[in-house]
Amino acid sequence: MIRPAQQRTSIDQASIDALQDVLETEHAALWAYSLVVAYLPTDLAKRARDDSDAHRRLRGLIEQTLSDVGARPVSALPSYKPPTPVTDAATAQQLCVVAETDTLAAWRSMLERTSDKPLRAAALEALVSGTARCTQWRTSAGMTPVVPTFPGRT
Amino acid sequence: MSPRGLVSLPVPAGPVRLTRRRLIALAALAPVAGAALSACDGASGAGGPDPLIALARAARDDAELIGALITATPALTDRLTAVRQARTDHAIALETEVTRLAGGTPAPATPATSTAPPAAPTTATLTAALKKSANDAGGLVATLPAARVGLVAEVAASCASWMQVLS
Repeated sequence: MIRPAQQRTSIDQASIDALQDVLETEHAALWAYSLVVAYLPTDLAKRARDDSDAHRRLRGLIEQTLSDVGARPVSALPSYKPPTPVTDAATAQQLCVVAETDTLAAWRSMLERTSDKPLRAAALEALVSGTARCTQWRTSAGMTPVVPTFPGRT
Repeated sequence: MSPRGLVSLPVPAGPVRLTRRRLIALAALAPVAGAALSACDGASGAGGPDPLIALARAARDDAELIGALITATPALTDRLTAVRQARTDHAIALETEVTRLAGGTPAPATPATSTAPPAAPTTATLTAALKKSANDAGGLVATLPAARVGLVAEVAASCASWMQVLS
């Protein structure tokens, strides 16, 4: 924030840590979406696949960025533990809400942990698009308000 | 609910070199937000009034507009009650932050500014107002200090989603 953008060759460790935390939640979200598809009716399954694509893109960009700054991107775990077991369409949608809410919290946290403008711009965009996804799942899951009032706050 | 359920996380450290190309790659995530950020870069220097005052005012104005819509068309009550509450909650949170930064001085009673609610508000008036509120909040995200950026980004994201829901 002090040096002009052209001269920047590094980001600080706090930004890297924040990116790694986001990456953890993106891994988990991808796992969640891969799990839920089988439990969802066709239209919602399609939405889940679209949302999964969005997270895959975010994951790829984060991993690229981390690799380029010399940090080893954290790996996905073999599996994750849903707060509620997924047994049907309703619990599948709840897990989508959980996954989106987790990633929102991580992206929001990144905003507070970096002052790097490109990273903040990316985090804001992810927060906005993630809130839209979360809203859709909250809507179909029958949760209110459909839009989180403070997305990413836990 | 606060379902931070799937992940808890330790993080490895690493050396820190960033190619400019890659920073730009990640920034390319955000064409819209990026534009908003750069558009506002110069606007939030020191010395001016607290920029959150205007956001709080906008939240109050949006809530008032929604009230006027509901009064004019009671059938919209169910559809709009939640967003009115959301904008009221945004206003309270923003005013609290303004007060905090001012060292406990109560937030100035922000005068109802430019936008008196139009005589015959429509849902389109509301979505336009929400879009402006989202953009104005998003435009501050590049430069706000850590303690405030989360709240303002939340307001931006919430307004953007409400706009989509109501469009």
